[in-house]
Amino acid sequence: MSLGAWLELLASGVITGGIYALVALGLNLQYGLMRILNIAHGEFLMLGAFVTWVAATSLGWSPLAMIPLSFALTFVLGLVIHRLWFKRLTDTSPNVDVFEARALMVCFGLMFLVQNFASWVWGGELRGYDYLTEPVHIGGAQFAANKLLVLVLSMVFAAVLIVLLRTTLYGKGVRALMQSPTGAQLVGIDTERLHPLMFGIGLGLSGVAGCLLSMTYTIAPAMGEPYTVTSLIVITLGGFGSMGGALAGGLLLGVVEAIGMHFTSPSLKSLLSYTVFIAVLLLRPNGLFHRKR
Amino acid sequence: MSHNNRDTRPGLTRRRLTQGLAAALAAPAVLRAQAGPVRIGYAMARTGPWTGGAQVSQEPNYLLWAEQLNAAGGLNVKGTKRPVELISSDDRSEVETCVRSYEKLMGSDKVDLILPPWGSNANFAVAPLANRFGYPFIAPTALSKRLIEMKLPYFFLMLQQPQPMMNSLVELLKANGAKTVAVIYVDDLFGLENYAALKVAVGGSGLNLVEEKSYPGGVKDLGPVLRGIKDKNPDAFVALSYPPDTILASRQSKEIGFNPKFFYASVGTAFPLYKQVMGASSEGVLGMGSWNRKSSKMAEAYFDAHVKKFNKEPDRWASGATWASLEILQSAVGKVGLDRKAIREYVANNTHDTVIGKIKFNGSENVATPGSVSQWQKGEFEVVWPKSMATGSLAAKPAWV
Repeated sequence: MSLGAWLELLASGVITGGIYALVALGLNLQYGLMRILNIAHGEFLMLGAFVTWVAATSLGWSPLAMIPLSFALTFVLGLVIHRLWFKRLTDTSPNVDVFEARALMVCFGLMFLVQNFASWVWGGELRGYDYLTEPVHIGGAQFAANKLLVLVLSMVFAAVLIVLLRTTLYGKGVRALMQSPTGAQLVGIDTERLHPLMFGIGLGLSGVAGCLLSMTYTIAPAMGEPYTVTSLIVITLGGFGSMGGALAGGLLLGVVEAIGMHFTSPSLKSLLSYTVFIAVLLLRPNGLFHRKR
Repeated sequence: MSHNNRDTRPGLTRRRLTQGLAAALAAPAVLRAQAGPVRIGYAMARTGPWTGGAQVSQEPNYLLWAEQLNAAGGLNVKGTKRPVELISSDDRSEVETCVRSYEKLMGSDKVDLILPPWGSNANFAVAPLANRFGYPFIAPTALSKRLIEMKLPYFFLMLQQPQPMMNSLVELLKANGAKTVAVIYVDDLFGLENYAALKVAVGGSGLNLVEEKSYPGGVKDLGPVLRGIKDKNPDAFVALSYPPDTILASRQSKEIGFNPKFFYASVGTAFPLYKQVMGASSEGVLGMGSWNRKSSKMAEAYFDAHVKKFNKEPDRWASGATWASLEILQSAVGKVGLDRKAIREYVANNTHDTVIGKIKFNGSENVATPGSVSQWQKGEFEVVWPKSMATGSLAAKPAWV
């Protein structure tokens, strides 16, 4: 295999992995911080994709302009959903385990609700549009322009989130909450504000991922579920609550899948992903990047 | 009321009185039902992974058909026009839900007729059931040799089956000088059967299979496989694929600059979505198709009615087959009424004139429509093989643009 071919192969893994990472980061915020195992996470990705598709095909807007808009839309939706359901659940659940179980049920409901809403509004057909599909040549390798854009943007979003969590006061609060919820509340960290905010940001990232995906793939109301499942694998790989871990886990999974598919067969893709998953669970049950405290 | 007349014993017990009353009350209801609507049931994917196919090729046609019939005064049932009432539900792309829905329609709702669900898998599950209940079942979107081998007397398949489709493709490739072929196929019933048929067709044809790889449904990246195939530089590329992967394989081939002389993909190439998504790059792409607006006057009328009602074009393969299946059912009911056994006999023993040409069944298989290949040329999916069905002639595939 030539160097160019290797480059293309690795890049295609990293591109897929970048999307995995972006979706997983959002889910990790929700689960790591609030113990909301958001099974409906991928549905908001689908919403982001559909909104972008509508804007691109009916209004003729650039999908790029839809990135902030789909973030804003899913962010606000996240705030509303948190206010309507999860805040009440937090108030009424006797402890965090009960909350987790109840939140999971709510998320299941939410999944059906959002998916059927999309089917009702847009119908169940496959949709898609043509955006930046011209090939770009880089050092003997060839990529679609939209894929490179997706890669760059997903990395930017992931990096911004990680940097914000590391450097800002809010970020410190979030990390403190992840390490010890009770301790964080004792020192006066305001969960009433942080929780809805982070839930919203989590969904916002999912919306952005959907917006990016719609540039390269066909979209349909059922498109979200596989991404939810993959991001569950990714956050388990990276360790619950570890943002850097989710990023690295997503990229790793993408690359393993790409290389594996090239040398075996795409039919074995799930086998490859789950082999990595099981190996990590056996050897490093707290995630690849878990540091012993 | 005939019940009362038969009663010759004197004395009117309360029980008899009640029975008589009930019968008297029921009689007008029975009469009303006679002139009432013809109830036609089906389950269809409106959510889940089958939706893409079901909502393009199948359900729009059921709705259009019922609307046209009712606008014209109803379905002709052996000379009497009766309105059509569609009783439908979402099967959520689940085989069990689909089977349960049909069990209810035939077992407890006792609808007059049923229409088939979408896809080989669902038809596989429902066909034996329909056969047991004795409902004629003319499936427009099922493609499987095994369905034919089940020899179900009430079951008919509209689409050309894997072997004729693949024979036709191989004939076209051979006649146009292709020497090497690379194939990828989705690893389910559809992909496996077509792959097997392709291997049979290729055997002894002088063509050489240089790469054969399977992939799972719902695949998100075919790039790694396509790169491997590009290195082998085959004359023809064949994807035995479903709509999302058809588009994925096309887009990714364009991405990496893999442009073989013959680029063939299966389900979905015939969808209007294909030319929308691929734009000018659709030019020269081959796929499974068997008709278009130019095929006949009937095809033109159907195409225009579809566009008028849904503001979207029908697909150039299974949509035509769906419409043809409804035409067959309609003419059967017109001739023999709602006696389902008689409908079966009529469907099985006649040659039918439809929007996609003559249809004749041998067992379950439509043997009148030969396997065919179509090609996107300037925004139309032209039938290019065989010559008897062609609406255009094969053009060389330009580079992706």
